[in-house]
Amino acid sequence: MQYVIRESVFHRLHPLTKLIFAAVVVALAVLTSDTLPLAGLAGAVVAVAVAGGLGRDLLRQVPLLVSLAASLLILTIFTVQNGEILGYLVPPSVPVIGGAFPVTVGAIGLALAMSLRFAAMLFAFQLLVISTQPRDLVHLMDRLRMPVDYTLMLLIALRFIPSLQLEGKRIHEAQLARAYNPGRGPAGKIRGLFPIIIPLVSNSLGKATVLGLTIDLRGYRSGARTPMRDVAPGRADVAGICCMSLLVAGYLAVLVV
Amino acid sequence: MSPETGRETALSLRDISYTYPGSETPALSGISLAIAKGEIVFVTGPTGAGKTTLCLAASGILHHEYGGTLRGAITLLGRNVRDYRNMGEIGRHLGVVFDDADAQLIFTTVEEEVASGLENLGLSREEMQRRLHEVMEATGIADLADRAPHTLSGGQKQRVAIAATIALGTKILILDEPTAELDTEATAAVSALLQRLSGEGTAVLIVEQKLGELAAIADRMVVVEDGAIARVGSPAEMMQESVQEQLAGGRARLPAPAASPGVPVISVRGLVHRYDGVTAIRGLDLDVASGEIVAVAGENGSGKTTLVKHFNGLLRPTEGSVTVDGLDAATVPIAELARHVGLVFQNPDTMLFAETVADEVAFGLKNIDPGASEEPVDAALREVGLLHRKTAYPRSLSRGERQRLAIACVIAMKPKVIVLDEPTTGLDARESVGVMEILGRLRQDGHTIVMVTHDMRLGAEYADRIVRMEQGRVIRDSRTYEEEPCPRLCSTSSGRASFTASTRSPN
Repeated sequence: MQYVIRESVFHRLHPLTKLIFAAVVVALAVLTSDTLPLAGLAGAVVAVAVAGGLGRDLLRQVPLLVSLAASLLILTIFTVQNGEILGYLVPPSVPVIGGAFPVTVGAIGLALAMSLRFAAMLFAFQLLVISTQPRDLVHLMDRLRMPVDYTLMLLIALRFIPSLQLEGKRIHEAQLARAYNPGRGPAGKIRGLFPIIIPLVSNSLGKATVLGLTIDLRGYRSGARTPMRDVAPGRADVAGICCMSLLVAGYLAVLVV
Repeated sequence: MSPETGRETALSLRDISYTYPGSETPALSGISLAIAKGEIVFVTGPTGAGKTTLCLAASGILHHEYGGTLRGAITLLGRNVRDYRNMGEIGRHLGVVFDDADAQLIFTTVEEEVASGLENLGLSREEMQRRLHEVMEATGIADLADRAPHTLSGGQKQRVAIAATIALGTKILILDEPTAELDTEATAAVSALLQRLSGEGTAVLIVEQKLGELAAIADRMVVVEDGAIARVGSPAEMMQESVQEQLAGGRARLPAPAASPGVPVISVRGLVHRYDGVTAIRGLDLDVASGEIVAVAGENGSGKTTLVKHFNGLLRPTEGSVTVDGLDAATVPIAELARHVGLVFQNPDTMLFAETVADEVAFGLKNIDPGASEEPVDAALREVGLLHRKTAYPRSLSRGERQRLAIACVIAMKPKVIVLDEPTTGLDARESVGVMEILGRLRQDGHTIVMVTHDMRLGAEYADRIVRMEQGRVIRDSRTYEEEPCPRLCSTSSGRASFTASTRSPN
């Protein structure tokens, strides 16, 4: 997840408009646990991204979301037993432990709601990140009088996401070149992590020190920044705020009804 | 005043000793060094001598950011570093280019990266724009303005890191291995820029392994050994002495290649590789014969690494074909190709994860032969001179040892072809010679060696053949001892000025 150089409508929006959009989506997502409005909210964010030419970038997160949904489903099956029983993880015909871990409607509903909520939040935040240069975010946070440490934490987090992905890819290639073939499926994935995680963590810790020093030496704690260019709100921002208002109104109406 | 130049002192270290936390051995001992405004001081020395620690001390980082025991006094522009509030305040007067370019790139476009520091200086927009364009032109990155830094080649990243620091316009510059990955053109551009800044009164401290272009522009050269200053002198004198040491035998002498090249073991035809809208390889043909040492050379971003990644299937051709040891590298699985082609990455830390050196070497071997004995592991470690470290933790080894370990990991798998990406980057003269000697022995044992390098001099010295690339094409393919003249006196990537091809063992 990182800034994408492109001429989309989102790129033209003021960073504050995009930040408000992300905050509104997060707020709406926590207002309810009903799956239908949450699905509508996630769908609306995707639709907005597609209309703005960033749909493909957003959909890259789908594998992550599917994995998360599967994990949540397993977790809720173990912890939530509420509503009609649809089946059992251990078939009743199995001696002694048969019938253990019933799969209930409540568990599936909760897993689905949490996954959709997370999807809506992730998509909204991703739209902000991929369409806003980090320095514009830094200037925005300055103007919002956020403490400099928080601004720097955001900056480092944004910097580390692509960096970790790239380093992970490099390490993966290095291990593949040593004929490493951990196999397919979940077991292969888990086996495959070990030769990657250790170099990834070690190398990243080394880089973090230099990164922190670089940020300090470039004066990011000085607090007095002059943006090289002004990003002023325009008509697109007015239109964006109007669309957001409609989204909020429609969503609240669905919740009330 | 600096006693050497009679000019006002910008940076001074008086009797500096430093011991890292948890260590009992000092990394620096009794270092005294003063750099005047407008002076360029070049510091060199073997790996582990304390050069980077010297940079950290001189920039105040040891005092403000590291623990450990620091003795002596460091003065920046007449003020003790202890009296500066933090690194942010020091950063207004002093810029540092660290040896890890990757870690210094924070933003998402090159222009944003270079502009980032400027926005914190309280300059007018016009002045920021002027400096931005001037620095980007001077470092040759103007055409990369919209590129994402993490997609650049190593040399390009290094140029961006240098530009972002120089743009700050500080009165003191400290550069740790700033040209380790730069090609000759970029090194020349950086040299010219540093000379100009020095002419404008900037004090410059450069740490480098290579005695190349940057040494030539320095006013003084300092050799650091075992954490102390071993010698100080003029660059011209010290480089000349280095040549004589070189001629006295400080250089690897590789066995002669076979009289006629063997059968092709790598065959590339019409290779085109495109990614993210960039055409990195543009219709390339190449044959590498069995038993050859071939240097794939070229400027930063010319497509060298992209080319060799096709040899072991890490990249697949967009168009064209790559055949390695009779296998179609476009379709054969990577794990199968790894039996035939070993790739030593530029940074050995990319792969090291095991608990012991022996386990690290055994990892690749057991991937292709789960029942393999320890004998090939020991043989590979013996070959690279690390058998006595087989129980050590790989990441505790020195940079040179880690590089040799990475080579051992590949040797143990006994591939026919061994590809090395920038095999001497970050190594000192002795370690570089050691690596080249290993390559010579591997060739004698029947391996074919392909080494990627941005350093034409390395290729001219040690390869049988140099394949020069530019913008994804081969622009020259020559036998080094016949056609690849090198200046009579030239500095080498191994850190020594040397006489070149004529000193190779005759066939």
